[in-house]
Amino acid sequence: MWERLPQLVAYGLVSGSVITLGAIGLSLTYSILKFANFAHGDLMTTGAYIACGFLLLFRFLGVLGGRFGKLSFGPAMIPAFLLALAGTAILAILIDRLVYRRLRRARPVMRLMASVGVAFVLRNVILFSAGADPYYYSRKIQRAIYILGVKLKADQLFIIGLAAVLVVFLHLFLSYTKVGKAMRAMADNPELAQVTGINTERIIAWTWGIGAALAAAGGILAGIENKLITPELGWQALLPLFAAVILGGIGSPYGAMAGGMLIGMAEEVSTAFVSTAYKPAIAFGILVLMLILRPQGLFGRR
Amino acid sequence: MRLLEARDIHSGYGDMEVLHGVSVEVGKEEIVTIIGPNGAGKSTLLKTIFGLLRPHKGEISLDGREVTGFPPHVLVRLGMCYVPQVDNVFPSLTVQENLEMGAFVLRGDIKPRLERVYELFPLLRRRRRQRVGKMSGGERQMVAMGRALMLDPTILLLDEPTAALAPNLVENVFQSVKAIRDSGVAILIVEQNAKQSLAISDRGYVLVDGRNRFQGTGREILENEEIGKLFLGG
Amino acid sequence: MDTVVGVLNYLVFFSITAGIYAVLTLGLNIQWGYTGLFNIGVAGFYAIGAYTSALLAGPPPGTLDWRVFGGWMLPFPVGLLGSALVSAILALFIGWITIRLREDYLAIATIGIAEVLRLIIKNEAWLTNGVWGIKNIPSPLFPTIQRGVAGFLSAHPGLPDWARRLLEGTYNWFYLALVLAFLLVLYWLLERILRSPWGRVLRAIREDEVAAAAQGKNVAAFKLQAFVLGAALMGMAGSLYAHYARFLSVEKFEPFYGTFIVWVMLVAGGSGNNKGAILGAFLIWGLWAATDFLTGYLPFTDVQASALRIVLVGLILIAILILRPRGLLGEEKFVSRMLR
Repeated sequence: MWERLPQLVAYGLVSGSVITLGAIGLSLTYSILKFANFAHGDLMTTGAYIACGFLLLFRFLGVLGGRFGKLSFGPAMIPAFLLALAGTAILAILIDRLVYRRLRRARPVMRLMASVGVAFVLRNVILFSAGADPYYYSRKIQRAIYILGVKLKADQLFIIGLAAVLVVFLHLFLSYTKVGKAMRAMADNPELAQVTGINTERIIAWTWGIGAALAAAGGILAGIENKLITPELGWQALLPLFAAVILGGIGSPYGAMAGGMLIGMAEEVSTAFVSTAYKPAIAFGILVLMLILRPQGLFGRR
Repeated sequence: MRLLEARDIHSGYGDMEVLHGVSVEVGKEEIVTIIGPNGAGKSTLLKTIFGLLRPHKGEISLDGREVTGFPPHVLVRLGMCYVPQVDNVFPSLTVQENLEMGAFVLRGDIKPRLERVYELFPLLRRRRRQRVGKMSGGERQMVAMGRALMLDPTILLLDEPTAALAPNLVENVFQSVKAIRDSGVAILIVEQNAKQSLAISDRGYVLVDGRNRFQGTGREILENEEIGKLFLGG
Repeated sequence: MDTVVGVLNYLVFFSITAGIYAVLTLGLNIQWGYTGLFNIGVAGFYAIGAYTSALLAGPPPGTLDWRVFGGWMLPFPVGLLGSALVSAILALFIGWITIRLREDYLAIATIGIAEVLRLIIKNEAWLTNGVWGIKNIPSPLFPTIQRGVAGFLSAHPGLPDWARRLLEGTYNWFYLALVLAFLLVLYWLLERILRSPWGRVLRAIREDEVAAAAQGKNVAAFKLQAFVLGAALMGMAGSLYAHYARFLSVEKFEPFYGTFIVWVMLVAGGSGNNKGAILGAFLIWGLWAATDFLTGYLPFTDVQASALRIVLVGLILIAILILRPRGLLGEEKFVSRMLR
């Protein structure tokens, strides 16, 4: 059983990458908008479906075909990916304008409740438009490559790589750009940010945009990894996402990154002992453990 | 006509009115201190002037222009900056990043402004890469004031800048306030350390139960026996 | 006359389900409306109550069943009480861990519990028969009433068709009476409890937790008690459902049917108000039924129609939260509020 460990850890890096991308966005909105967004998983689903829609469109038009080497996708994925990120970001900002903005002064739990409503609306709009049957990103069986003693498919290496790149981008953004610093400032102290003259509504829009774009990326990568997507994709990801955010510490996007990886690895390693159906239960177990032992998470402050 | 005029301000929180018709004025490059017992409404007055609270009645004008009810991010552009009493820095940002946030509304190069603040507070230059959360109370107060100065305001509102500071640091704060005034900024201070604040002030106001009780030059208030017994602690 | 009977029969079905949802909503009202506990895992307690009752008062595993456990055909009241008990124990366990947490953590924890329970129901077929569900759950007094009706009908062969159809539905009228009686007793009990000293402490906690704690009240203990009480109600609703539907499967406990719609019912009716909870249940279920008719006229597939209806319910919740968060009836006022 233990010989499988390195392989499971490798799989954990892959699913951890997907969870991390979702968890970062969740952590950002949590720390800047001060509520747990239960619709975040469905933003991942939205991104996955928008990309899929464009992929189907390109296939139908007979353009941008082919694949990149051993990867399961080709040039079509580039515009599909970017358009999906942009589309999801715009949608999230729109939802904020219509719903959460009107609840800015309400108790945080009202925003939480509203986000549950948004989650059901998003998911069922997708269900209405695309149906309940899964959509396929690709059907080809992939050969695995041997790297450092574990087997990984080219797609999986890509997922880990892209997630790493996006994480680095986010770090640079938060550390060196004016908007990034303002986001950190707002997470620290929203009232002071107002007093300082920071245009808080604009920063909030940026937060939604970035968080949603990262979620969309996570959703698309999940589609690439699982080869298919269903409308339940995001809702099922909610537990691991929350587990990652709480494990890493609310208010710390870097914590969310670590949390995402840890949850991913825990889930995969657990398959050596428990049925794969119970992966979300593992994430939940870790979540409860953290809430009992150390509610502020590994890196959290409050 | 004064730089800042607040006339007959009625303001409060929700349905509760705290200020029942208060008026204050601040002239160019003046230091004006507001003192009074707890609950007199001093902080409420500052928040109302800065647009964090909407007055039920009354007018506020800055440089002759009506600014009643203007929100903070507009007022900072008009030259009024505010330093709250608590939570007045961003703890997880560095000193320099805190100052940069002060100049958020500006485009373009803010280096000259950073330079000016560092001149005023050399300690901040030395510590500019340090996370403010790890700094002491006195140092944080400096960061808070420096942040408010980044926009080159014509008037600075300070809410109890020496609260919770050790006595030796309190003197530093008042020295800084004088230096800030000397660089061309008017200052409206709300203070519990009434004596020391009045000592450096041109004028002062005494607020009790949300109303003006007394006003005069800093010296007049300090020498007034009645007030002295009530608020200045003898 | 035929249509009248048809409509009446439909109303009976409708009211039974709405009544069961009303029990769920009353349970949620205790947790959220009166204590401020944000439980997004209602479906979990609902499901565990239903399955417990089915295993206690239901049939033994059949030859085609995967399950190997339970089905002792105990009387219905045993099932009802058993469901309350098991649900309460589960709530005790979860609540003990999470009550002290802030609202959003409790929400996350409860949703986790509901999802884990769903996984268990789906996968542990030895207990729950997995996705194939549990069939042939007996309804209380069903054989007796059916025999009576059959006897009556055969003794009066000259009855018009519409009368026959009306009488054939007698059992459902009985079950409706059962549910409504249960609801009434529950309402009366809850109103008494909430006016009792225990209830007063609960309201004090909700108004100002810090003040209540300063007065020496063990806030966590009170919250836990309210959580457990609400969960017991939800469990009993599950039992009422199991013995009405006679068939249990995991779909009826999905997040929408088991949790979300209950929240919409409570918010719409007015959280913190038992009358509001019951009203909200009937109203929203009525809306749900109405949309079923309407989408029947539109050229949508079944999946699309139900998705559209869920979108509508979601939008209604959002609209209420923004426009009228107190719901229709708002909070119940007990004594004149002390001016702050």
